[in-house]
Amino acid sequence: MKAAISTYPKFAVVGHPNKGKSSIVASLAQDDTVQISDTPGTTTKKRSFPFKVDGKILYELFDTPGFQRARKVLAWLEQHDVSANKKHEVVQQFINQHKNDPQFNDEIELLEPIMEGAGIIYVVDGSRPYGEEYEAEMEILRWTGQPSMALINHIDETDYSEEWKRALGHYFRMVRTYNPMSANIKDHISILESMAQLKEEWISPVKASIKLFENYQERMLQKSSEVIAKLVYVSVSVVEKLPIPSDEASDEEKKKIEDNYKNRLRRLEEDTQKKIEDIWNHEHLRKQQPLLPFKGMDLFSEESASIFGLTRKELLVTAATSGAITGAGIDLLFAGHTLLLGAAAGAVVGTVGAYFGFNELSEVKILGKTLGKHYLQMGPMENRNFPYILLGRAIWHTVQVAKRSHAKRGVVNLAMDSSFKERWLDESLRKSLENYHKKFRSGKELEAEVLNEYGKLIQKILEGLIGNEGSLKQLPDTH
Amino acid sequence: MNLRSYLDLYSLLQEDTSTPEERRAFGLSHVTVKDKPIEQLLAWMEEHRYQLKKPLLSEAFSSTLYSVSLTLVAIAFVLGLLSGIGLLSYNGHEPVNVIYFMSMVIFVPLFTMTLTLFSMLRANSVQSLLVHISPAFWMERLLQLLPHKTQEDLKNLKVNPLLANWIVIKRSQVIALAFSFGLLCALLGMVATKDIAFAWSTTLHVTPEGFHSFLSTLAFPWRDFFPWAVPSVELIEQSQYFRLGDKLSEEMVSNASKLGEWWKFLAFATLFYAIILRFLLYLLSSVGLKRAIRRSFLSLEGAKKLLSDMNEPIISTHAKQNEAVFRQTESLYSNVADSLDASYDLVLGWAIPKEQLTVISESMKVIAPRHYEVGGANTLEEDNEVIHLSHGEILLFVKAWEPPTMDFIDFLEALTKYVDKIVVYPVGTMQEQYRPREKEIDVWARKLSTLNHKKVWLKR
Ligand SMILES: Nc1nc2c(ncn2[C@@H]2O[C@H](COP(=O)(O)OP(=O)(O)OP(=O)(O)O)[C@@H](O)[C@H]2O)c(=O)[nH]1
Ligand SMILES: [Mg+2]
Repeated sequence: MKAAISTYPKFAVVGHPNKGKSSIVASLAQDDTVQISDTPGTTTKKRSFPFKVDGKILYELFDTPGFQRARKVLAWLEQHDVSANKKHEVVQQFINQHKNDPQFNDEIELLEPIMEGAGIIYVVDGSRPYGEEYEAEMEILRWTGQPSMALINHIDETDYSEEWKRALGHYFRMVRTYNPMSANIKDHISILESMAQLKEEWISPVKASIKLFENYQERMLQKSSEVIAKLVYVSVSVVEKLPIPSDEASDEEKKKIEDNYKNRLRRLEEDTQKKIEDIWNHEHLRKQQPLLPFKGMDLFSEESASIFGLTRKELLVTAATSGAITGAGIDLLFAGHTLLLGAAAGAVVGTVGAYFGFNELSEVKILGKTLGKHYLQMGPMENRNFPYILLGRAIWHTVQVAKRSHAKRGVVNLAMDSSFKERWLDESLRKSLENYHKKFRSGKELEAEVLNEYGKLIQKILEGLIGNEGSLKQLPDTH
Repeated sequence: MNLRSYLDLYSLLQEDTSTPEERRAFGLSHVTVKDKPIEQLLAWMEEHRYQLKKPLLSEAFSSTLYSVSLTLVAIAFVLGLLSGIGLLSYNGHEPVNVIYFMSMVIFVPLFTMTLTLFSMLRANSVQSLLVHISPAFWMERLLQLLPHKTQEDLKNLKVNPLLANWIVIKRSQVIALAFSFGLLCALLGMVATKDIAFAWSTTLHVTPEGFHSFLSTLAFPWRDFFPWAVPSVELIEQSQYFRLGDKLSEEMVSNASKLGEWWKFLAFATLFYAIILRFLLYLLSSVGLKRAIRRSFLSLEGAKKLLSDMNEPIISTHAKQNEAVFRQTESLYSNVADSLDASYDLVLGWAIPKEQLTVISESMKVIAPRHYEVGGANTLEEDNEVIHLSHGEILLFVKAWEPPTMDFIDFLEALTKYVDKIVVYPVGTMQEQYRPREKEIDVWARKLSTLNHKKVWLKR
């Protein structure tokens, strides 16, 4: 036995079948792949969930199958009764002797990590009454001689925790309540703190892990805000182009570019959502949500018509190009840098797009004739409400993902709560956001710093909604 | 750190396939550059440069930049030479007015250098108008309208605007230098090959003394070292030229050989104002460009991510491997009893204490001679005793909410050997008036189907 290797703390989550062991592990390890179901016996093998920092394990959690033949195991142990200081050796003997006995598969799976030094986290369901049949299990755990605590989970609304606490108090020094489905970061950390108390030498490594875990959460927020900032910037500034053969655009061509543009925006949103889900370790999230709307974007009623009504907010412009404007020929250094020339042309197109309808743009088309190819262009987004709609949706999505328990396996409906807008957006925030949106719309190259500041602003919003005091509840699953 | 390393990093970041783990390992293993983001980026680039596909983008860019610059420098030099020759040519009617040449080598440079200084200050703003009016910018623009092959990659290259501004500023200085050299060469060449009669003339009322003090002010950098390169009052008087009147032209003719002395002043003025000052500005722009490159490093697409990957610990909390997907068996138990009989030979309660068991029986209106608790806190021997005295039809109450364990199945299996029929009846909690939930009964049904014994019935 090389005991020196595994000096980091280990914890085995054990208990009766179907009492939420895997749910607790999924929540503590933020792992949404753990198999969780309401059928007892879902977990059949012990599984390790190491908390790793740069490849180094700081502590390790184990999910285990539930006890199946506790009385038989206890009977065996009691037949080999010895003095208290030898009891754990008897447990080891039991494991050694029954290694290949399928009868005790589950017990051995769950006892092994404990005998290798794991602290015990005994999980019970406090929403169901206590029963004497639990005593055999607790007795076996006592035989292992490992430090232990009990966690009361509430699978249901009913509450029997008082009788549970009385019973558990006889076996465990520490009895805590933890709900894997609704726990927030504060609860999470508080449980880790209790786990640290199991053994004196675990206190400092677990405390260190808690610190790192808090930073990790902080970084998730930061990364999310960066991703969202980028989404809004790109969506507002993105330009969709469609080459057309003549200087006159047909209705199909207009429809086509409009569709392309909308799809592009939707795809951007989709990709961002995926990134956010990955950041929060919800890679397997299943969700339902309404598509990004393009009608009735009258969030602030300042511009009440929909953006795609073909008049003022018609962004469909015909512009013209040739190698002279976009190719490398014009400029090696300044590709991507709005050129004086480009800026001037952009300004013309922009104002025309904003103040006149589609037909009035023929001026630009004539310019195209002399310069070469024609194309239809849509974007940057002129609608003032669009960035708020997009941002609101992104924030809502992020909050829901961030708050979502990793133990949930259902489909979440992300339809936005109608009161949500008032909760994140007030007039002063809108003013500060508008400054950025204006820059995004301008079509000019953005300084990296500006996007950074915008991201910081979003991070503040997210912190207000997700942090410990964050007021939003996680959404229930739909079935 | 130079433009080349900037571009190499740019292309590396675009093609990079390194994993966050590799990046973090790099960050951890390069302790000397820790907390110095730019040094970290440089170190990372040095270590990964070999991955870049040849020809390097930076080489293509530099060579294009170099050849464009060279062309521009040559053009500027020729322009300088030609305008110098033009300014110094004696057209046969009038002597060469030094004022023209002076403005070309003193006032125009001073003015453009002031503009350059302004554009340096403003270079950080994304679009500096001053940069756009730079001759280098436009000459380059024109050059590139001429058809020539450019690398595909260069087409998509996005240089940071700040950097682009500084590149233009720096190159404008080189071009201006070339132009000034052209002027100087023209001056020296003309002086060597021709006899030029210099004169000065102005409509303004300037006395020769006044003009002299003005010139010696202009000559302040060299007048103490090379006094002969400052025109004397006498020379100035002799070379003043009026369009109308012939008195002075005679005097000029008699002093013709002296008038050539002007060239020394002009040469020094060119050297100082158009060349040395410009060169200082060039040095300044080099420094500016260096700093711009430094700053641009951090705003390169992907650089921030690379740095954070290097510097932030990788935290992972999830399991090593994925778990096999759990498949729920759908089989529903067919041995179902819809109703209870009025009496049984024995009523058992799995982990249900005896007092509670009798209460349940009563509430179900079931009569039985005996009630026993099995499982629960019983020992296995106690259970065995109950099994041995069992016979006939048994009603077995179980707590619906507790999952059926293998312990229970073992017991059930043993019991079947002694009895004719077992009705397993899952009951809810007392608070629920012993009514079980559908879902809970399903769990029991599934478990019983693993045993699948014809004597075992499920009451639902
Ligand atoms: N509402 C609610 N349901 C919970 C909670 N904890 C667990 N559950 C549900 O209880 C059921 C069992 O959860 P699991 O985590 O699979 O339980 P387990 O102890 O790992 O079960 P086995 O692996 O079969 O021993 C699942 O349907 C969970 O969704 C909780 O806190 N609240
Ligand atoms: Mg499980």
